[in-house]
Amino acid sequence: MKKDQIRLLESNGFQSVLSSIVSIIIGLIFGVLLILVVGLLDSNLGIESAWEGIRLVFAGLFSTGRDAFGTLTWGFNSINMGNMLFRATPLIMTGLSVAFAYKTGLFNIGAPGQYLMGTMASLMIALGIPSDKVHPVIIWILAFLGAMAAGAIWGAIPGLFKALLNTNEVIACIMTNWIAANLVTWLFDISPFKNVTESTKSGYIYKTSFNNVATTKLGLDKVFPGSQVNGGIVIAILIAVLVYILMSKTTFGFELRACGSNKDAAKYAGLKDKRDIVISMAIAGALSAAGAALYYLAGNTELYWSTYQSLPAIGFNGIPVAMLALTNPIGVIFSALFMSMLNIIGLQITSLTAYNEYITDVIIAAIVYLSAFALLIKQIISRRIARKKGGSK
Amino acid sequence: MDHNSDYVIEMLHITKEFPGIKANDDITLQLRRGEIHALLGENGAGKSTLMSVLFGLYQPEKGEILFNGKKVEIKDPNDATALGIGMVHQHFKLVEVFTVLDNIILGAETTKLGFLRKKEARAKVEALSKKYGLQVDLDAKVEDITVGMQQRVEILKMLYRDNDILIFDEPTAVLTPQEIDELMATMREFAKEGKSILFISHKLNEIMAVADRVTVLRKGKGIGTIDTKSTNTQELSNMMVGRPVQLQVSKTPAKPGEAVLVVEDLTAPSRVHKNKNAVKGVSFTVRSGEIVCIAGIDGNGQTELVSAITGLGKTNSGKVTLCGEDISRASIKARGRNMSHIPEDRHKHGLILDFSLEDNMVLQRFKEPQFQSHSFINRPAVRKYSDRLIEKFDVRSGQGSETIARSMSGGNQQKAIIARELDRDKKLVMAVQPTRGLDVGAIEFIHAQLVEERDSGKAIMLVSLELDEVLSLSDRILVMFEGEIVGELDPAKTNAQELGLYMSGAKRMDRKEAAE
Repeated sequence: MKKDQIRLLESNGFQSVLSSIVSIIIGLIFGVLLILVVGLLDSNLGIESAWEGIRLVFAGLFSTGRDAFGTLTWGFNSINMGNMLFRATPLIMTGLSVAFAYKTGLFNIGAPGQYLMGTMASLMIALGIPSDKVHPVIIWILAFLGAMAAGAIWGAIPGLFKALLNTNEVIACIMTNWIAANLVTWLFDISPFKNVTESTKSGYIYKTSFNNVATTKLGLDKVFPGSQVNGGIVIAILIAVLVYILMSKTTFGFELRACGSNKDAAKYAGLKDKRDIVISMAIAGALSAAGAALYYLAGNTELYWSTYQSLPAIGFNGIPVAMLALTNPIGVIFSALFMSMLNIIGLQITSLTAYNEYITDVIIAAIVYLSAFALLIKQIISRRIARKKGGSK
Repeated sequence: MDHNSDYVIEMLHITKEFPGIKANDDITLQLRRGEIHALLGENGAGKSTLMSVLFGLYQPEKGEILFNGKKVEIKDPNDATALGIGMVHQHFKLVEVFTVLDNIILGAETTKLGFLRKKEARAKVEALSKKYGLQVDLDAKVEDITVGMQQRVEILKMLYRDNDILIFDEPTAVLTPQEIDELMATMREFAKEGKSILFISHKLNEIMAVADRVTVLRKGKGIGTIDTKSTNTQELSNMMVGRPVQLQVSKTPAKPGEAVLVVEDLTAPSRVHKNKNAVKGVSFTVRSGEIVCIAGIDGNGQTELVSAITGLGKTNSGKVTLCGEDISRASIKARGRNMSHIPEDRHKHGLILDFSLEDNMVLQRFKEPQFQSHSFINRPAVRKYSDRLIEKFDVRSGQGSETIARSMSGGNQQKAIIARELDRDKKLVMAVQPTRGLDVGAIEFIHAQLVEERDSGKAIMLVSLELDEVLSLSDRILVMFEGEIVGELDPAKTNAQELGLYMSGAKRMDRKEAAE
């Protein structure tokens, strides 16, 4: 039995999961401390509010508001739950994008740009093809594939620079991010898709539901009534499983991982290391863009098109999602769910307590930041276990 | 002064266990002041573990360490450094993109107000370098210098830190005969000055030549400590391996057949100075059924020659024909159809260290039908194949095929590469320093394998820096000096002295005579 325990402690999978959990706990503890400190310092808050905030950090997902006496109530909250799944969908994809590139030895900080290109391609196709002539499902599929193609091209550009000119992909990615931001703004500016019919809206693109295009709900709206959830989460999970299989079971994944782990040895073995860099970045780009498609094809989301001054946070958040999952594609599903849960919790704290949205943003950001230390925690854990084993008999 | 202070370091009854293996089992090692003490043992005998214990990298389960007779705890390398213990690791610990000088002073920088005082450091290093004849180019980047020079950098690092107890882990594995002689002279010089030296090796001649005493380890146990004066190489090797060992390569005369590799007037650029040629118009032929050895001092163009033939590096001009096919511009993969390649740098090219052993075993072959079905890797087939190679070539590792290559010992990593390359069964075997860093038993085995390959009609191009290997294994010797082939010798009719003259450029044959 002792031996089984040791084997479990030594197994890579166990250490990975444990380290992710430990880093989440460290992040949450830090968040709790922040809430306490802010609560005690701010005269509007006090210890009462801090205690409420702390409970919301851990169980905000199950918060159902306040009762008549002003105390927090708890229970199954279908809106929270469904929205968590909905917001996790694009995060899974950008997380996969970063994780995939990372496994092949590349740091894809270009996810925001690829996400933007996917946004543009999916919206233009979904709004540009009239749904009275083509079936909306066909349009949806075209928009989804078009987004992936646009993202793949956008990802391939830094890949080409890296392969042909040995330019660091991080620099090329940052450049392409801002090119995408300006390009997308410009193209939407001259496009006929700006929302002019709803007078309350300014600066937004039409929702795709204007053209009757929307992701199928797959009955999830019945399970989580009132939320934005749709079949996109199922598609994202399927893609994550596919990426996992591709990476760990196929010869193609083997080749990409070989190039990523040791470029020289891959070259020695006759693998086409340069081609593989481009392919890896193209796939990473397609994954990010697919995330954008799943978000904007939902039918109920809208894009603020003048985006040239900022990059989508979902793109960057792919990095902590991937790091928390230790770049395991299956792990990405869970870490993305965790990140989007934090997002929901942030909204709950803002709406139910006197903590303002900026403080909650700081708290959530701190948790995210510390969660990304999973790799470091893993090294510490495996060293501990190794030492313990070495020390005892 | 009590009697103990004869010994500067005593490691008493050290026991260190790893999962499934007792790496050190009650080993005692006593190092006298001013002596050169050799630590002899095969790969996996526990030499490196014992030294890691001394260096504070591992904590032993049992046993104690005395320093000048007093018990000390060495918890990490900083404690070891504080005691004046310095180590040249088998795999150098240098920052590749830093200059030689920066590497030497790294961690022991002299500063003033937080600014580096490189001038003083440079003067000190230059003085040391001059005093011990350790020639280095202080301003070259480590990635651009030869392995031999990298080692001198490591030695200077220890000297710069005024270490008195110097550990050399397999220091001669990467050196040329001349460099080995120089190193030994340097070691004797150190000992004369009262520094104590631990010399880890499995090369018996070197131990006999330089060491005062030798402690032999076998499979984690201490076999004994003896004076080198009262023993001989055969006795030592028997102690080390535990059975009588064949020290000479046994082979029949070669029966060369058709030409397999024809190199004509090949020039290739230098790795270090991109606009200079490292290979200058080299021509030679390797026939099936013969072992042709390119001998020479490290850095005379052998690496570039091999790179040009294998496709890893560039070719400026000339022609390479393999099995009748012009491969001068072919891809690495195309060249690999008729060539297997045991690379010089096993960590850079030979293995993907973060991959499992079995994945490394199929590095070139995972796309072959036997290892995949519908683009999915056929895991059972890979495992079976890998297990077979592990068994056949006696590759030792903690978890067999699943072992991560990084965690294996250097010798076993090399055996894994050789297993993979020889099993690919190609017409030409390019073997670059195939026995570098291996122990007697493994060398014996690999030499026998190469001879067997030769006898089955393979053409073998051997690049070696070790004179013993050059003379005993090859059928023909081509000596390379400054990018040219300066002599062709028959191993039966030459000796180390003559070879050394060609290698150092003191003697050369007429070009026409040398070619072919």
